[in-house]
Amino acid sequence: MKNSSFLQGLRDSLMLLLWGVFVLWLSFGGQLSKYLHPSLQPYTTAAGVIFLLLAFFGFRSLFTRQVAHDHYHQHHECCGNHHDHDEEAHGHSVKQGREHQHHGTVDGIGAMLFKTILLLLPLAIIVSGKATAYSITTIQNRGVVDNINKLPSAKAGAAVAASAASSAKSTASATPSAVTVATNDATTSASQSSSSVDSSAPAASGGPIPLQVIDMLYAVQMPSYRGEFEGKEVELIGQYIPMTTGNPKGDRFQAIRMFITCCAADAKPVGVSVQYPKPLKVSEMGWVKITGKPTFPMEGGRRTAVLEATKVEECPAPSEPFVY
Amino acid sequence: MPLSTVWFHFSFLDFQYAFLSILLEGLPFLLGGAILSGLLEEFLPQSLMTRFLPKNPRTAIIVSGLLGVIFPVCECGIVPVVRRLLKKGLPVSCGITYMLAAPIVNPLVILSTLAAFRGQGAWEMTILRFGLGLTVAILAGWIVSYIAPYSILRPGLLAPENDHEHNHSGSCGMFDRFQNAASVATRDFLDVAVYFVIGAAAASLFSTAVNQEIILPLAANPPLAIVSLMGLASILSLCSTTDAFIAATLTTFPMAAKLAFLVFGPMLDFKLIFLYGAAFSKRFILSLALGLFVVIGLLCWRLSSLNLAW
Repeated sequence: MKNSSFLQGLRDSLMLLLWGVFVLWLSFGGQLSKYLHPSLQPYTTAAGVIFLLLAFFGFRSLFTRQVAHDHYHQHHECCGNHHDHDEEAHGHSVKQGREHQHHGTVDGIGAMLFKTILLLLPLAIIVSGKATAYSITTIQNRGVVDNINKLPSAKAGAAVAASAASSAKSTASATPSAVTVATNDATTSASQSSSSVDSSAPAASGGPIPLQVIDMLYAVQMPSYRGEFEGKEVELIGQYIPMTTGNPKGDRFQAIRMFITCCAADAKPVGVSVQYPKPLKVSEMGWVKITGKPTFPMEGGRRTAVLEATKVEECPAPSEPFVY
Repeated sequence: MPLSTVWFHFSFLDFQYAFLSILLEGLPFLLGGAILSGLLEEFLPQSLMTRFLPKNPRTAIIVSGLLGVIFPVCECGIVPVVRRLLKKGLPVSCGITYMLAAPIVNPLVILSTLAAFRGQGAWEMTILRFGLGLTVAILAGWIVSYIAPYSILRPGLLAPENDHEHNHSGSCGMFDRFQNAASVATRDFLDVAVYFVIGAAAASLFSTAVNQEIILPLAANPPLAIVSLMGLASILSLCSTTDAFIAATLTTFPMAAKLAFLVFGPMLDFKLIFLYGAAFSKRFILSLALGLFVVIGLLCWRLSSLNLAW
């Protein structure tokens, strides 16, 4: 039993060490942004550090034999006779086949093996490196949101966006780059959206205005904001999904981004229709860079956003795939 | 995206992705709860807890429900904390009340609910969420106070450390005491993490494979809307600090259904069903699930029929 207690202690410390290493590897490798909202990432990184600290304490207690093996005896040695330990009350009698290990019973070999496999499972998924984005299956199961009011915080954000866009309109010059900065500020403050798309897209004077899917959805609701880029050349990055309905001419697809509140598990796809008459050879959920002009026609009795594309090309995934 | 007629469509990679996301999000909070548990074990004398808890059992249950306001722990971290408090001698009824109420009455959740429902009766929703959550938790505690603890708790939960009060005055060094706390935290974390992994897997399976749009037609019928949103809350297994932002977007559903979503989810979502297994018997968890579902459902249905101005 002494050996199984040692074995369990060793398993625990090794498990924490592995978890710590993998969490910090994800964190410092910039991979956490594929799973978590930025505001939660520091907590997970801190957890990685704490895992390592706990593993250190675990190894120390195992090999110095001062604490972890037997808390009961340790306290007798360390603190004197302060405790009133009733072996029967504690269920520690040898007859019951239990060993007094620090704060808990020792698992049997089968249970220990099962728990070890279960706790190693997530690490194996991390190592495989495949689970880093959703496929079309989940997008279909969750449904694409094309109405800004159906996004978390959208109502609160809309008011800020409206006022920010309005103030931008009054202060910004008419050059595309100035409008871009102003509109992006407005939207960022409104929806807390962020993406590396904007920073990587050409914002030089005279170039297309870098825009996000979410900007177009806000614009549907706010005429003042719409005016900032309606009919102007914009550039938008999103994931391609084909439109199987509401597409009688067959010249439309949807460009989507995933909007998250906490983590990828709560991600909601948000999307706009893109009209592009030329044939496209893009795989489902592939990243595309679209250049075109935003329009906001009335369709089916409600105003919608349609990006009339002049150019669609495949592009690499942005380092920050989500919008917030 | 059109409403798909297929209600279940599974992708293993998507399942893995959601699974990792839930784990990475929940781990820090689970770990926080385990560390708190270790510190409680090492530094909280049992006598202190019993001294501060009212002698009257019913008052003690009410106080335990309100404890979450000043001692906030989210639903992922609450299980190791409650396990430790039970081991330290907290009555089971008080432990369950605290466990069910804390993820709802904590200040961060109150603020997030207020922010999320701005313009949609924020104060009414926040007060009702707080009030209903606390009431249901106290009710559960009262019922549990009439049941023998051994039929509620996981076998052996109290055995190793029952009556095991440590008196650390004097000769233990502070480093050793922190090492003891770390050992307790490690064991508690790994014990509970096993259930968390299973719960996260169940939540991921349902949140990625089930077509969430199939519940939309139910929005027009209050009882069905309430039941469907309680089911959705279980499937999504959201953190109670952010679930209000999701609930606020379910604009086609009546407010009573959103209230049910916000009260039932933090008390009993899929991952919690498994997490509770680290402390309670399977039979009790099943009864608790059924009881919470019926009581919260009926109370919200009653509220919906009152035609409150929200």
